[in-house]
Amino acid sequence: MSVAQERATGPAALQRRGRFRPGDAILYVVTCAAALTGVVLLALITHEVLTQAWPAMQKFGLGFLTTQAWGDKGNTLFGAKSFIFGTVVTSLGALLLATPISLAIALFLSELAPRWIRAVVAPLVELLAAIPSVVLGLWGILVLGPFITGTLGPAIHGTLGWVPIFSTKPSVGSNMFAAILILTIMIIPIVSSICRELFVGVPAELKDGALALGATRWEVVRGVVFPYARAGIAAALILGLGRALGEAIAVTQVIGNRVAINTSLFDPGDTLASRIAGQYQGADTALQVASLVYLAVILLVFSLIANLAAQLIVRRVAGRHQV
Amino acid sequence: MKAFVTRRKRPLAVLSVLTVAIATAVAISVGGAQARSSADELKGAGATFPAPLIAAWQQKYEAAKGVKITYNPIGSGGGIQAITNKTVDFGASDAPMTPDQFNTCGGCVELPWALSATSVMYNLPGLPNNLHMTGPILAGIYLGQIKKWDDPKIKAVNKGVNLPSTDITPVYRSDSSGTTFNFTTYLNTVSRQWKSQIGRGTTVNWPAGVGARGSSGVSGVISRTPGAVGYADIAYALKNHLKFFSMQNRAKKFARPGLAGIRAAAQADRKFNPQSNELSIVNPPGSPRFAKAYPICTYTYVILRMQSDKANLLKPFVTWALTSGQQYGPALIFQPVPKYVVKRGKATLKKVHS
Repeated sequence: MSVAQERATGPAALQRRGRFRPGDAILYVVTCAAALTGVVLLALITHEVLTQAWPAMQKFGLGFLTTQAWGDKGNTLFGAKSFIFGTVVTSLGALLLATPISLAIALFLSELAPRWIRAVVAPLVELLAAIPSVVLGLWGILVLGPFITGTLGPAIHGTLGWVPIFSTKPSVGSNMFAAILILTIMIIPIVSSICRELFVGVPAELKDGALALGATRWEVVRGVVFPYARAGIAAALILGLGRALGEAIAVTQVIGNRVAINTSLFDPGDTLASRIAGQYQGADTALQVASLVYLAVILLVFSLIANLAAQLIVRRVAGRHQV
Repeated sequence: MKAFVTRRKRPLAVLSVLTVAIATAVAISVGGAQARSSADELKGAGATFPAPLIAAWQQKYEAAKGVKITYNPIGSGGGIQAITNKTVDFGASDAPMTPDQFNTCGGCVELPWALSATSVMYNLPGLPNNLHMTGPILAGIYLGQIKKWDDPKIKAVNKGVNLPSTDITPVYRSDSSGTTFNFTTYLNTVSRQWKSQIGRGTTVNWPAGVGARGSSGVSGVISRTPGAVGYADIAYALKNHLKFFSMQNRAKKFARPGLAGIRAAAQADRKFNPQSNELSIVNPPGSPRFAKAYPICTYTYVILRMQSDKANLLKPFVTWALTSGQQYGPALIFQPVPKYVVKRGKATLKKVHS
């Protein structure tokens, strides 16, 4: 308690022991300015986005969310429905694929792998995150697309064609499935490296205890590691989801950019971020620009919800488990 | 506790020194950048379509006149925005500016300064180059109504060609593009359904197919997708060894997007739009004069501010581009602009002053 009293915060900290310390003053000013910059920037960006989107918000109202159109009726009708659909489907699809793979990578690297493999593989997985998204998108066009049309797509369609989401044969490499795979590759390093840190942080006594009771590796993972890290895993997944929601360039390169809602993942579609990245520069009319920024407002709300959900989950699970 | 605090002091000092150093460096580099932007330089931005020709001009003009030209091919819409925001000395666009855009630009003039064609490319392995295609069939493909390469309509104009039953995948530009404007203007003139449902623009709501970013994206998808069809400027198709159609014109002849086809089409419109100087030469009439015309040709435009600090550099450059500069066009499949276009351009340039 005495330590807490000694470490007073605010300007009071500067007068500690009655001696003025210029270094502390600078530190206080610099850090405080940095913190304020963050808040002010967020406010300014929100304000700017809302102002720019205002003409479209006025014209279309909330009906924008349920209209499937883009530049219809002589460039006067715009709507976000198909982009919201595309964003939700590709992000959740990527999360669905990335979760088991990321957890497996994290478990292997933290629990099972010998030290030397860990030292080699862990940085390499994290390097995946260092690939610029435009390069990943290019790889999507040049390699992944032809692979989907030539091998993967026909195979999946052939065996699982009765499932609605695989009901068409991919005739071209640009489709929602390609976008999901690209996003999966982008999320895996984020989720797996956070989870690895979490798993490493599980107290050895707990694991040893479980092993001493005769638990198998899997039982230790299921009974000790996962429950202990649950809140962190959820937060990591939502971080990954945030990445997927906002990714623009790589997605716009591979998704096929069509204003359409198709059940089959092998058909082209588009997402909010992809549409903004594709058309903001060089938009024809003021209304088109405003509509694009309206898409940005929706994206902002999506990201906000994802972040709030992450905080809520972490708080609730943490409260329950005292982690 | 005391030891803890003193240990902290040194990094702090380093930090403040670093901050000052960075600030100084930034200040110096900003100052330097301003000083470097010399008087003998013209900055431009806009359409990708004329970029190869402008690149040739940059070299020749700097060698001849000592004026450096920089050009940033960010797309037609971007070029209009840049000249409107006064961030460049000239903008370039394939789609002529609308009256609205003229209003926002406030005191801008536009004139045609280069002339070329949009090619319709395809990927059909084993089949020859320059297969035949008509406007109505092309519109049917992009409307999603003609779906297979062995469709009777396509067979009818390609007798003796063994067309496969492959799916047709139409490919379009997902970004805002003057080439799209040229292409959809053409579809507008050949299909009533296209005109009423989709219309023309630098972006439209495509009813079928897939989008790709930039000409490079479109050609990338085409070359990796058997059965794909797409559009880009002819220089691009040639450079990337993609096959392209001979298009049927209104004289019912099939023409290639070469210099002869462009030259014939260039004469189709002599009536300049009074504000934008637009000349629309898409799908010329069927009279014998236009028997060789390629139907998807376009002028591309330069946009200047009437009041420009660099008028003394801009006017000679654009005049040179319209006259001497045209000789570098044919190597890049840009047909030199006709004399009346040069005349009109020079007259328009008189409005530019410092």
